[in-house]
Amino acid sequence: MAIQAWRVKDRYYRLIGSRCRKCGAEYFPPVYRCRKCGSADIEDRQMPKEGSILTYTRLHEPLPGFEAQAPFYLAVVRLDNGARVLTQLVDSPEESVRTGARVRATVRRARVDGETGLIVYGYKFIVV
Amino acid sequence: MHLMKSSRPSAILGYGAYLPRYRMSTAEIARVWKGGGSGPNAEKAVASMDEDTVTMAIEAANGAMQMAGVSRLGAVFVGTESKPYAVKPTSTMVAQALGQHHTLAADLEFACKAGTEAIQVITGLVGSGMIDAGLAVGMDTAQGRPGDDLEYTAASGGAAFVIGRNGKGAVALIDCSTSYVSDTGDFWRRAHEKYPRHLSRFTGEPAYFHHVETAVRTLLTETGHKPTDFKYAVFHQPNPRFPVEVASRLGFTIEQVKTGLLNPAIGNTYAGSSLIGLAAVLDEAQPGDRVLLASFGSGAGSDAFCIEVLDGIARKRGAGQTVRSLLERNVKVDYSTYSRYRDELHK
Repeated sequence: MAIQAWRVKDRYYRLIGSRCRKCGAEYFPPVYRCRKCGSADIEDRQMPKEGSILTYTRLHEPLPGFEAQAPFYLAVVRLDNGARVLTQLVDSPEESVRTGARVRATVRRARVDGETGLIVYGYKFIVV
Repeated sequence: MHLMKSSRPSAILGYGAYLPRYRMSTAEIARVWKGGGSGPNAEKAVASMDEDTVTMAIEAANGAMQMAGVSRLGAVFVGTESKPYAVKPTSTMVAQALGQHHTLAADLEFACKAGTEAIQVITGLVGSGMIDAGLAVGMDTAQGRPGDDLEYTAASGGAAFVIGRNGKGAVALIDCSTSYVSDTGDFWRRAHEKYPRHLSRFTGEPAYFHHVETAVRTLLTETGHKPTDFKYAVFHQPNPRFPVEVASRLGFTIEQVKTGLLNPAIGNTYAGSSLIGLAAVLDEAQPGDRVLLASFGSGAGSDAFCIEVLDGIARKRGAGQTVRSLLERNVKVDYSTYSRYRDELHK
């Protein structure tokens, strides 16, 4: 788990995605080939840290490693450049979570590898 | 002379504060452990279950970087006593989140004054010309043993400051500082211990008051300033009484102290305590105002600073979240939710 997270830490910490140098399309998570024009001329791109909720659900039975945080909201966020992010919502009261609500990115603990292992940090979003 | 003053002037270029959203009243703690009453402060700031010093430092640092408008940091120092790892730097995780790699990075530890030490070291690095700008963070998720006196005040939060060469756009000049330390066993946490221990009333006279008074009197004597030369004074605030008492002893008024006095609303954020008070002052100070900042760290020591607010404050203020907005954005929690958030309960 820790090694997988280490390989993608800039994605987790800074929302680094991809931009196609040929057509300008932007993606998150990063891609190796543009889904619009097929170009492999791709560069890293810092995603905007704000967007709005496209859809969401309240999760009561999460995957192993996330039990302590349940129940929590899982949302698809459309960032201000159009890229989409599947993300956990935090610090967001129930009445504020709705389709179209504005959100901003933050960095939080994502999961912890037991009592002695590494702590994995990653992006989550907050309704603003 | 005991003053530390860099040969080239260093200044705060930007700052950012962070408080977690959750608050618990000390009446709630007293209800659980004493059946009634309250603590010295009304409420304390409580970090959520997925927050720690790393995540809060990143939040504050992002605000400071945005206000400062710098793209490169030569140093990233995080002052804290609540590192998520005993061995693995908090500062490298903050640097990674800021996209900074060609930088000096270190964690500083001196109980509640580790954040002001970070400011002093970066002021020196900038002042000597070794770096152009650096980041100093004071941040903690303070711990108190359930039922102990510390549990009423131990809180979460802090602030970050980008310090660089004084010039156009600078927010506040760090004119000079001085430090005073001694071997004093007022408060400690041994290796592998989850909670600190303290010597109760010993934390007052021989620890907090002796060190803060000595550092501030040295600063006043050697700069020639009088308390009336300062518009604001910010002292470390382990509880609401100590900073007001030490201000009075040193000749400062409650008017000078009240803007930076946040303990009644948020508790003691340890390494973040005096620094979030400074952030609150910078949120309302005007160019030309002079600010006294005095931290205290158990063990023990105090750093006292003379800071002068510059023209850049007017243009840059509002770039990030103000301390007031962080105070107003809060959700009350009870003791059981607090216990869950602070990892005292396991599913």
